[in-house]
Amino acid sequence: MENDELGFEEVGRKYPDFPRTIMRKIDTALRGVILSEKALQRAKEEDALYDASADFVGQCGFDLDKPALKVRVPVSAEALPVIGGVFFRDGTYVLGLESVTRGLYSPSGTLVRKGKPYLLDSVDGELWLLDLPREIKLPNGISRGEPMEEVYFAPIPAYFSKKTSRGTPMIKVISSRAPNRITINISDYCHFFKEKLSCKYCSIIPWLLHKGVRTLVNLEDIYETVNEALEEEGGFTSIHLIAGSDPRGVNQNGSHRGNSPYENEVNEYVEVLKTLQRCFGREKIPVQAIASAFPREQLLRLKEVGLSAYRSNIEVWDNKLFEWICPGKAKYFGRQYWIDSILSAVEIFGRGNVSTQLVAGAELAEPYGFKEMDEALASNLEGVEFFARNGVYTTFCILWVDRGSVFYREKQKLPSLEYYVRLAQGINEIRKKYKLSSDFNDYRRDGFHPDMDLVRLDYNET
Amino acid sequence: MFKLPKEVVDLINDPESIKIVATADEKGNPHCAVKDFFTLLEDGNLAFAEEFEGSQTNVNLVRAIWFAKNVELTVRGKDGTTYQIKGKPYKYFYTGPLFEKFYLAAREKWGPDSELAGVWVITPEEVKNETYEVRKKEEDKKHPFFRHLDRSSVRRTKIQNSKSEISN
Repeated sequence: MENDELGFEEVGRKYPDFPRTIMRKIDTALRGVILSEKALQRAKEEDALYDASADFVGQCGFDLDKPALKVRVPVSAEALPVIGGVFFRDGTYVLGLESVTRGLYSPSGTLVRKGKPYLLDSVDGELWLLDLPREIKLPNGISRGEPMEEVYFAPIPAYFSKKTSRGTPMIKVISSRAPNRITINISDYCHFFKEKLSCKYCSIIPWLLHKGVRTLVNLEDIYETVNEALEEEGGFTSIHLIAGSDPRGVNQNGSHRGNSPYENEVNEYVEVLKTLQRCFGREKIPVQAIASAFPREQLLRLKEVGLSAYRSNIEVWDNKLFEWICPGKAKYFGRQYWIDSILSAVEIFGRGNVSTQLVAGAELAEPYGFKEMDEALASNLEGVEFFARNGVYTTFCILWVDRGSVFYREKQKLPSLEYYVRLAQGINEIRKKYKLSSDFNDYRRDGFHPDMDLVRLDYNET
Repeated sequence: MFKLPKEVVDLINDPESIKIVATADEKGNPHCAVKDFFTLLEDGNLAFAEEFEGSQTNVNLVRAIWFAKNVELTVRGKDGTTYQIKGKPYKYFYTGPLFEKFYLAAREKWGPDSELAGVWVITPEEVKNETYEVRKKEEDKKHPFFRHLDRSSVRRTKIQNSKSEISN
C-alpha cells in the first residue's frame, strides 16, 4: 500500500454501502492468497484438489526467464495442484489464487502484489482467510494471522481426471475457472505477439508462437470433453470460448491475404460452435465468445452457428492510452473499428448479450497513464456510459502485472483498493441506470469482475 | 450455536409441513415465499433450496448476508403447530455436495427441466412457538384486558346459559 492510500478498514468506513465481502475480494486480488499445508490437505479431503502434473509434463509452460520466449520447455515434474475454487460465505469467488485455481492457462504465480498476502488456513475446523500482518496471540502463546473471512472450497469437476478416446487429458481441453463455467481455449496463437504488438499487460504467452500458425484444439476432444462435463448434474451453466487475436483474413484457397478482417479467428469459432451444437442437439447454444472485434458479416456467421453472447474487450477507453497499451488492437484496425464492431454486435445478439471489458488499472500505468484517480475513473466511466447507452455492458478485471508482460518489465504498480471500489460502484450505477442484464459474466459464470458481484442485488429487476 | 427444540426439528423434517421464508428488500418491504426443500444440517444450521437466482427472496438474502440482516422462517405442521425461526444467512452454495443433494431432489420432484439456483444456509438465533392455542394462552396471560368480552373465558355464552337453564 502506498503511504497516501486508505487501508481496508478505512475504505470500509468511507464506503459503508459497498459490501465488505466484495471489498475483501478485491483485496485478495491485490494482495494474493497463499494456502497453508493444512488448507491443501483439507482441499484434498473435500475433493477440491487435483494433481495435474501428469497431464502437463512436457506439454506446457515457457521458461519465462529466457529473453526469447520462443522455446517451449517442459514444466517441472513437481506436483501441479489445481484447486476447485475458494469462495466467501456468500458464494463470491476469492481471487488471488490464480496460479492454482482450476487453471489450465493460469499465470505463472509470479503476479506482482500489493502488501502481504492473505493466508488460507484451517482454524477450529473451518477455513479462513487470515490477515498475516495483523497477528493475534493465542492462549498457548502461538501467534497467527487474524481471521478475516470464513471461506469454503468448491470440489473439482469429475472430468478433470478423465481422458478423451484419443488419450488427451480432458483438463487440457476445457478448463473451469469459475465453477459454473466451461472455458474452451480454442487456440494458443495470438498474432499480436508475433508482431511484437501484444497488449502491454498480457502475460499469457501463446505456446505456438514460433510456428506462426494457429492450431485449433481437436474438435472431437472438445465434443467428448464437453459431453462428459455436461454429465455432471448441476455442474455448469455457461460456455465461454477464448482465443488469441488473429486479424488475418483467409482467401478462398486458404492463403493469408486479408480479405475479411479476423476471418481466420472466426473460422475457428465457427468450427467449435458447430461441434457444440452437436453436444446440445440444438442450433442455439448457451455460449459466449470472448474474442477480437469482428466485422458485421463475421458476427452474423457466428450467430448462424448458435452463438448467444459476444464479448470483445476494449481494455482501455482513453484513445491515446488505448494506442499505447494495446498496439496490436490499434494497428488492427484501431479503436473506432473495435467500438463499431461491439456496437454492431448488439443488433445481432441483442441488448445485454454483448459486453466489453476494461483492464482496470492499466490506464494508470506510467509514464503516459492518468496521474490522478479521479481522472482515470472519469475516463473509464465515460466509456462505460457510452457503451451502456448503446446496449453494451462493461465489466472490469483487476490489472495483473505478471512475468512475461511488458508491464512487468516496466515494474508497473497496482492501483489502490479504493480505486477499484469506486470503479465497481460507478460501473454498477451505470448498468442499473440503463437496466442492462449481464448474466453471462456474473459472479458465478465468471467470477473475476467485482462490479458483476454487485449485480446480485438487482437480478430481480434486470 | 442456538439449538432448535426437537419438536421444531421434527416439524422441519416433516415433508408435509409448510415452510415459508420471509425476507426484506432494501427499503424494508417484506417478501414471503414458500419453500419445498428444507432441512436441518448436522451443525444445527438450516438449509433450503432457492430455485431462482433472480427471485426477490434470493436478492434479499444476498443483501442480508452482505449487511448482516435477519431473515425469518415459518414452519407449520398439518395439525396447525407453527414455529417462527429468526436467523441470519450464513452460507450460499451453488456447487459441492450440499448443492448436489438438493439439485437431485429437485430433479426427482420436478423432472429433468427443473432449475435450482443454490442452497442457502441459515444460522438460527431465536425460535418462537406461533401455534394459535399457545399464542392465545400467552397473550391472555400477558394482556387479559385485550380479550373480547363475549369470549367464553370472559363471559358465559347464551348457549352455555341456556344449557345450564335446561339442566336446572
